[in-house]
Amino acid sequence: MFFSLTDEQRALRSTVRELLADRFPLSAVRALYDDDGSDGDPAELWKAIGEQGWLAVLIPEDHDGLGLGLLDAAVLARCWGEGCVPGPFLPTLVAAEAIRLGGSAEQKSSWLPRVAAGEAKLTLAHGGRVTQADGKLSGTVHHVEYAHVADALVVAADGGRLWLVDPRGAGVTVTVTKALDRSTVLTTVVLEGAAGQELPGAVLPDVLDRGAVLYANDLAGVARVALDRTVDYDKTREQFGRPVGSFQAIKHALADLHVAVTMAEHAGWYAAHALDAGLPDAALAVSVAKSKAGDAAREATAAMIQYHGGIGYTWEHDAHLFFKRAKRAEYQYGDPAEHRERIARLVVDGA
Amino acid sequence: MDLTYSEADEQFRAEFRAWLDANLPAEWRQRGFWSRQDRDEGFAMRREWEASKARAGFAGIQWPKEYGGRGGTPAQRAIYDEEMVRYRAPLTVNGLGLTFLAPTLMVIGSDEQKRDIIKPLLHNEVIWCQGFSEPNAGSDLAALQCRAEPDGDEYVINGQKIWTSQAMHSDKMFGLFRTSTEDKKHRGITMLIVDLRSPGIDIRPLKQMTGATDFGEVFFTDVRVPKSNVIGVEGGGWDVAMLLLSFERGASAMPQYTGFRRELDDIVGLARDLGRDQNPLLRQRIASSVVELECLKYHSLHVLTQVEQGKELGAASSMTKLQWSETHQDIGELFADVAGLGHQVSGDGVDDLQRSYLWSRSETIWGGSSQVQRNIVAERLLGLPR
Repeated sequence: MFFSLTDEQRALRSTVRELLADRFPLSAVRALYDDDGSDGDPAELWKAIGEQGWLAVLIPEDHDGLGLGLLDAAVLARCWGEGCVPGPFLPTLVAAEAIRLGGSAEQKSSWLPRVAAGEAKLTLAHGGRVTQADGKLSGTVHHVEYAHVADALVVAADGGRLWLVDPRGAGVTVTVTKALDRSTVLTTVVLEGAAGQELPGAVLPDVLDRGAVLYANDLAGVARVALDRTVDYDKTREQFGRPVGSFQAIKHALADLHVAVTMAEHAGWYAAHALDAGLPDAALAVSVAKSKAGDAAREATAAMIQYHGGIGYTWEHDAHLFFKRAKRAEYQYGDPAEHRERIARLVVDGA
Repeated sequence: MDLTYSEADEQFRAEFRAWLDANLPAEWRQRGFWSRQDRDEGFAMRREWEASKARAGFAGIQWPKEYGGRGGTPAQRAIYDEEMVRYRAPLTVNGLGLTFLAPTLMVIGSDEQKRDIIKPLLHNEVIWCQGFSEPNAGSDLAALQCRAEPDGDEYVINGQKIWTSQAMHSDKMFGLFRTSTEDKKHRGITMLIVDLRSPGIDIRPLKQMTGATDFGEVFFTDVRVPKSNVIGVEGGGWDVAMLLLSFERGASAMPQYTGFRRELDDIVGLARDLGRDQNPLLRQRIASSVVELECLKYHSLHVLTQVEQGKELGAASSMTKLQWSETHQDIGELFADVAGLGHQVSGDGVDDLQRSYLWSRSETIWGGSSQVQRNIVAERLLGLPR
């Protein structure tokens, strides 16, 4: 019985945290907020990720990867959330899972080594209405992360099949939309008879579960740092001649958040491990993790604004970076209510 | 991450299940069985069954063998707790002694106390209650006033204890008494053992909102206690109490998880019977409770890991308490909303859920109220100022 991170996983976490804080601190995230001309994908950050081999974490060793588990990837995702780190890192991890799990031998060997080396950016385009006829795809998918910089799109078409699509190919239009959260870029992908290459495996549900787990861990990271920073501020901010953190109205709310965020952290670990180990309650664990993390992050980041007072509502303060990212990721790979309905199908309907 | 138990631990589980299969009467496991038994007879049945379990070696799982324990691992303790709930085995009748008194004596008891108290306790030869709370000392325990006046080789106790669980069925009490009024509030308190058969003791039952009388009031009038009954040292009772309460903290909440999850299954069954299981709002509420309970399970596995690694949990146990007690109250409200007005009506198998629903209101008070727990989390875990 060992429910915790291993020493290796803790070491990985420290390395990732330190490097991100050093090379891509919140001031760099803020620069994206203030630069309307940016493509939202800082080149120096992507280069560092490639050098560190972090994209190789889930790629099998026979495709030049590290062949580690989803829990290791979840450790990275949490660091991403902690720093509100931008870029197509998580989208690439998720889309590469589609190729790893459902791709042909040729698709795997043409994409996975390049992902591992940091030479290819991918993204998953799902949740739209895309029809397919004779290998040509048509339809629109909204809110696709970083399609404008991706080397390949993994598109979910009607019937749940997955297709590899060249975002620069004929019949593909990618339009960048401005999102409230500038630590991502959301695009609209319009396909008009675009050529696609089908993945043989019907793995969309698996891929969505893995996405949900990674974003749940990102959210747990967002929530933890939002809470920690609020606690630190309220230890020293004085009103009525005493630190506001000494008032029970604030103290008790922060204590409840600490419980909620801790639960979200443990749920994020458990769900990742459940998928790695093929535990019988894996589906339940995924939905528990994503709904808990979505709720905890929304509440913790809202508290970050509220318990900073007026300064927390300003553009210059970091609170809105956390708040907007939490709210964005809350809806990715299923929002809390959708995951609770899935839990009801599992527990009430016995599905 | 490795959530499997060792072979030795699974072997223990198999042995314990075999014993339960052979020794736990089938009718005891039916819902509502214990509420149909006469209170005193039911207690006597549980007392004797638990003693036979101890004689078979399934008690004091983690206690050293020299005290009659099994010398097992924290994982075996968790397995034991889990199986007890899974089998709907009757709860211990000597919980305060098992959880608090015995582990405390193992650390600071005199040789005589260790010898005379621990093993008889494990075998239910002596049932213990705890005398801490008083009418004016609840969350502010150090405000206690029940006086133990030194008099030669003895103390003379006058005053009152309240909310004393199992007071009517107990043989002895370990309690906190004020032996000096000179000192500061946290000093001048001494932990004493009191024989409840002593002259001058009057025990009165208190009826709870469930209608049951699980606790009572204990009145002391010139009750004489020998000085050898001090646990620790005179005036050191507060520190002993803190040590004693720390033993609650090593416990994971797996028993609560297992029990509440079963209760939730019963509520889901009720929703189906009433044709309300497709109501979208109730489905969301059911799922929310599942989320909180599953989180409690993951958290408990984490706690268990830390205990196995010999880490001090300290104030982190306040998080565990908040998570299970607040979640259980939500489950109670869910039961009421599923049943509608039917939650008021006894009979037809809702009795257990009704009792649990009402009982959950006490769980955020006893053992440190939710408000006290939030102060502990905020001050000791988050470091917020007092």
